[in-house]
Amino acid sequence: MRGGDVETGRGDEGGRRGRRVRGVSGALVPAVGRTVPWRALGAGAVVGLLLVALPRLLSVEPDPWLSLNLLRAAVLAFALGLAFLLDDPARHLTTPVTTRRWVRTGLRVAWVVPPAALWWTAALALVPEKVRPPVGSVTLEAGATAVFALAAAAMAVRFGNEPESGPTVAAGVLTTAVLAQVLLPDRWSLFVATGDPRWEAAHERWALVLALAALVWGACGPEPVRRGFRFLRRRPTAADPSAA
Amino acid sequence: MNTVMQPGDLQAAPPAVRSESRRSWAAVFALARFEARDLLRYAVVLVTLFVYVGYTLWGLLSEREGMDAFPALQNVDRGTQTAPLLLGIALLVCVNRATLRSRRRDTDRHFDVLVMEPWRRTVAHVLSVVPFAILTALVVLGEFTWQALRPGAVGHGSVAELAVGPLTVLLCGALGVLMARLVPVVFAAPVLVIGLFTFSVFLSAGTGDAEWSRWLAPVVGETSSEALPSDLMGRPAAWHALYLIGLVLLPALGAVLVGGGRAWPLKAGLAGALALALTGAVAQSGGVSAELTAARERATDSPEKEQSCVREGASTYCAFPEWTGRAATWAETVERVQSLAGGSAAKQRLLVRQRIDATYGLSGDSALATSTTPHQVTVGTRWGGNRVPEFASAVASVLVAGDETKAGELCDGRMVTVMWLAVGGADTPLTELRNVRLDDALAGSAIVLTPTNPLSMSAGQTAVVVDLLKRPRAEVTAAVKDHWKELTAPGVTTAQVARVLGAEVPEESDDCEA
Repeated sequence: MRGGDVETGRGDEGGRRGRRVRGVSGALVPAVGRTVPWRALGAGAVVGLLLVALPRLLSVEPDPWLSLNLLRAAVLAFALGLAFLLDDPARHLTTPVTTRRWVRTGLRVAWVVPPAALWWTAALALVPEKVRPPVGSVTLEAGATAVFALAAAAMAVRFGNEPESGPTVAAGVLTTAVLAQVLLPDRWSLFVATGDPRWEAAHERWALVLALAALVWGACGPEPVRRGFRFLRRRPTAADPSAA
Repeated sequence: MNTVMQPGDLQAAPPAVRSESRRSWAAVFALARFEARDLLRYAVVLVTLFVYVGYTLWGLLSEREGMDAFPALQNVDRGTQTAPLLLGIALLVCVNRATLRSRRRDTDRHFDVLVMEPWRRTVAHVLSVVPFAILTALVVLGEFTWQALRPGAVGHGSVAELAVGPLTVLLCGALGVLMARLVPVVFAAPVLVIGLFTFSVFLSAGTGDAEWSRWLAPVVGETSSEALPSDLMGRPAAWHALYLIGLVLLPALGAVLVGGGRAWPLKAGLAGALALALTGAVAQSGGVSAELTAARERATDSPEKEQSCVREGASTYCAFPEWTGRAATWAETVERVQSLAGGSAAKQRLLVRQRIDATYGLSGDSALATSTTPHQVTVGTRWGGNRVPEFASAVASVLVAGDETKAGELCDGRMVTVMWLAVGGADTPLTELRNVRLDDALAGSAIVLTPTNPLSMSAGQTAVVVDLLKRPRAEVTAAVKDHWKELTAPGVTTAQVARVLGAEVPEESDDCEA
């Protein structure tokens, strides 16, 4: 019934819906801001910055290859923080709230975008100019990775019943990153070095990843009508200590 | 309470205490079994397990490269090390989550009233990784056995190198538990993985691949893909395995300590683990010893002192002890090449000598210098795939030119005969010709690879050879044998060779005529 209320209520709300969303949103902004998992995001961001700053901290001469891969590692660390963004300990209570899920999710993302942009600028600034990879291209990589993590988090919410699916999503994102590095054949490789002739083609693939992730994220935005696929659903019971 | 205490009851008491202690360990093992089974329910673990086993099987079953049929076991054992890291990363994250589950679900306080102490719970979490390490060990062993049973396998594997894969899995699991006990938040473990990975990359890059920092990583790779005799490799594999055992025990016992274990054997064990890890770390960073350097120089400069020779057919084959079994395989190629030759070359006794450049160990590849000894052909340590036509080209060039150094200077029409001998008798001559040429094409001038210095073919010579290879083999063989003297006379032009063999005469002249 929890998911059902919102969906059945859609028909008779009609034109009032838009106004209500607008009306509620103002008060919602600080409230949602408090529910953003700042600690996980902060941990990812700090570790990311530390990684990028490693050459400076240890006063080692960085080379372009090292800088590029440190930036990639930093982006992955930040993305692992983002994987926790949609965690909502009170999920079962917020489901019947009249404000739609995508509005609340969108607000959370809106809270995170400015610090993320600031973080990315700082990360780029920490890389010495002469070894800095092309900013546009790495920003595309960073954006695709971040949206991929958000899409994975949205999928976990859409198809799972877990209020805090962050750890699962983070494990999934991390494993995907490792597997993509290991298993993608050379002609589909995403992780190419700066001087590589495949750089352009690889970044077309990054753009594709970004577009696909954005589509999946969009598709997983609304509140699920029924919770989860039947085979994925696990009802936590008192007798099941493994319900993690 | 109306039963009367009998003296026998008192005597029965001590066994009851002992069985209690045994039961609590039984409970730990039961919990470890449960946790191990539960780890399988994480999609990430299942997927990486599937990918690991599948990837290993695919690597064994698909013959991507002809060289796969002729593995050197001292390289195969090292090849089993990287893939388990994949499973290890997944386990690190998931064991961490499993350890933090009671905290997330707020059941810690319920556990407090149970008989089992919290530190035993930690032990169970550490032990839950063991089945996965055993599974990894089985996969590693299966992979190695499969390769060792190939008819073309040579060399010796090392148990210490094979142990690295399972130990890496154990290390990852133990780190996951320790992380959960030290920083009990769920987002710490994934970030830790990235941090560790980057740090290890950074450490080796930052210290210029120094020997001590290179061997601190669990899995230590080598840049060279060459195979060296086992005793010249200079990998402190046994010390590294000892270091890894210490490294596994450190976080495992550390997690139990942080989890509330206070028994003195635990502290002693932790000190022992630290001692093991330090001993291993110090011993493995010794670098290349003076004896090893001397042995490498001996093997590089005067291999005849280390090698044993066998006679196969007319020729002699000298190889390092681990490779002598391959002489018959080399002999097949030599006989194939010689069967196409005419004159004295058809009966010429050759000395096939295996040579290596072990000066830099496995840290770099370097080209072998050509030998000036007449009728001596060099063969490398690898075999199969492109190595076969490369060796055949060297044999053919020595048969025609006399020795390897003169062969490297061939630029006249004799090059046509050399290449005909090298690939003419193969099952798929045109494919072999394409493979042995650096540009993988059948037109234009190109470099031809051999175990030592390369040969070079002009565009005209290429056209004549391709023409010959397209004609019936018996017809060309007969023509070559009939005109052997003419074809192998120094200074013969490609045009003359083409006319003699009835091929289309190329328009351009040879390089050395210009």
